[in-house]
Amino acid sequence: MDILQIDGISKQFGTNKVIDRLSFSVKEGSIFGFIGQNGAGKTTTMKMILGLLKIDQGEIKVCGEKVTYGQNKTNQMIGYLPDVPEFYNYMKPKEYLKLCGEITGIPRTELDNKISELLNLVGLIGANKKIGGFSRGMKQRLGIAQALLNEPKLLICDEPTSALDPIGRKEILDILERVKGKTTVIFSTHILSDVERICDEIAVLHDGKVALTGTIAQLKARHSQEGLQIEFLTLNDREHFLNCISTFEKINQIKETKMGLTLFSEEIHLLQAKVFECIMAEHILPTKIEVLEPSIEHLFMEVVK
Amino acid sequence: MNAFIAFFKKEMMESIRTYKFYILAVVFVLFGFMNPIIAKVMPDLLGSLLPDGMTITLSEPTALDAWGQFYKNGSQMGIVILVVMFSGIMANEFAKGTLVNILTKGMARPTVIFSKLAAASIQWTISYLLCIVITYGYTAYFWTMAGVENLFISLLGLWIFGELMISFVILGGILFRSLYGSLLFTGGLVVAMTILSIFPQTSSFNPVTLSTMNLALLTSGYEVSKFLSASLVTIVGMIISIFASVVVFNKKQI
Amino acid sequence: MDKLIEYLPILIPIIVLELGLMIAAIVHILRHKTYRIGNRTIWILVCFIQIIGPIAYFVFGRGDE
Repeated sequence: MDILQIDGISKQFGTNKVIDRLSFSVKEGSIFGFIGQNGAGKTTTMKMILGLLKIDQGEIKVCGEKVTYGQNKTNQMIGYLPDVPEFYNYMKPKEYLKLCGEITGIPRTELDNKISELLNLVGLIGANKKIGGFSRGMKQRLGIAQALLNEPKLLICDEPTSALDPIGRKEILDILERVKGKTTVIFSTHILSDVERICDEIAVLHDGKVALTGTIAQLKARHSQEGLQIEFLTLNDREHFLNCISTFEKINQIKETKMGLTLFSEEIHLLQAKVFECIMAEHILPTKIEVLEPSIEHLFMEVVK
Repeated sequence: MNAFIAFFKKEMMESIRTYKFYILAVVFVLFGFMNPIIAKVMPDLLGSLLPDGMTITLSEPTALDAWGQFYKNGSQMGIVILVVMFSGIMANEFAKGTLVNILTKGMARPTVIFSKLAAASIQWTISYLLCIVITYGYTAYFWTMAGVENLFISLLGLWIFGELMISFVILGGILFRSLYGSLLFTGGLVVAMTILSIFPQTSSFNPVTLSTMNLALLTSGYEVSKFLSASLVTIVGMIISIFASVVVFNKKQI
Repeated sequence: MDKLIEYLPILIPIIVLELGLMIAAIVHILRHKTYRIGNRTIWILVCFIQIIGPIAYFVFGRGDE
């Protein structure tokens, strides 16, 4: 079942068309990566899903129910983590979650347990100080706790990892992976290694449209061109090797790097055999040989070019 | 209703932890003490400032002088501090983006306004009552309350005026999203009403009457019926202001 | 002097409140490093301006914790 359906939405700020007839849908129970450059319209799309921005054209459905601007009915099924979550600095995390819980109407008897459970999940159970003194990573984690409080069917995270250091990022990704079974997660990012780590499905947003979508495996299979990267000890070695390998006709593309070469071919095994042949023939000792798997980064660069 | 109570509690916590409520209360308590004492010592003070040999006859201070101080302090500095204290009540939420989490939790937007209004009103009412009780106590102790008429209506008038200011500050904050926008909006409206009050015939429907004619009302120098009709206009103005806040806030992109 | 003694019961609370507000503001200034506008010296001086000084600090000068 599709938990979120976006059907031909457009959004314009002045003369600047940010979103142009955008359509995609998200399946229940998946982690959906929403990728795009800075300014591609990721936040705008999310805010429209939340009814915080007016939709110029098209419609959005959450769990089959239509989103209307300014009304918060569908939001009861959604948990939202803004890119920079802001809290009331004079409150402690427990007090803040209590406020959120009371607003959503969680019964008082359940609320206390629920709060400790969530603070435990995001690793803030011991942080009994005012939110004003929190680091960005802690605020981000409290943001997730806040978003999960009403047991949403859909969790929307806007660039949850962008502003964090590697440890903070790992913590956030681990938390998202942990909640996967309970809720569907959409998260936007431009950090592609994060996407590869936890996403089931992705959509790449470019020029206000979806430029690429599918599961990670599907996308990798579709773009099957693979590469081989070789690095040499001297530029002289590279010269000799280049002379030898250029006789091989199944090469699509050769790129020169600082001390080496990157070769692309549709038949990576034949290419590999030929490479070793040349190395033997020319008596070259390479410092590194690596098969480049098709990465999301390559796909992204191809689409966004 | 749960959301209203929860957000109301949050507003009160905010006022207490950011010292706003304390300051407001302390200022009005101070006024409460100062009003009668200033009225009491003023003739002595003036007398001691005059050069030797010169005498002026000053009438003995009365309860009316104390209430005169009450309305002077309350309607000027008191209202200014009230407005300044609450100028950020909406603006800060917009500026910091703290409403995003709250609204995406499914909280209805009008409830945000109503709970803020209620919290600000409670703080204004408590501070104002403290001031009244203290001034009344000392005034009754120093003098007699005889000759002071319409005190209740007159006191109620300034309270309603304060409520109008709170509703203006909220509307200004929603319209301009900034603390200074909110202050300028409220200040601008007060200036406009004050200019209007230059024409005496407008006083029976000008809210500013509730903060300027209080003392005259005590000595029956101003008609009660006019004061009441100005009160009615002020209450209507406040309702319109709150209604406008709800409408504009519902349409606001956050 | 007689007058002063007569007014003492009402003067004491005024002095206590004014001093209290001033001390609270100065303590807050000394215990915090960041202010929304201005700096420490300016705000400490401002605190001595009647009652409006400490109030101005709490409204306009107090930074986030």
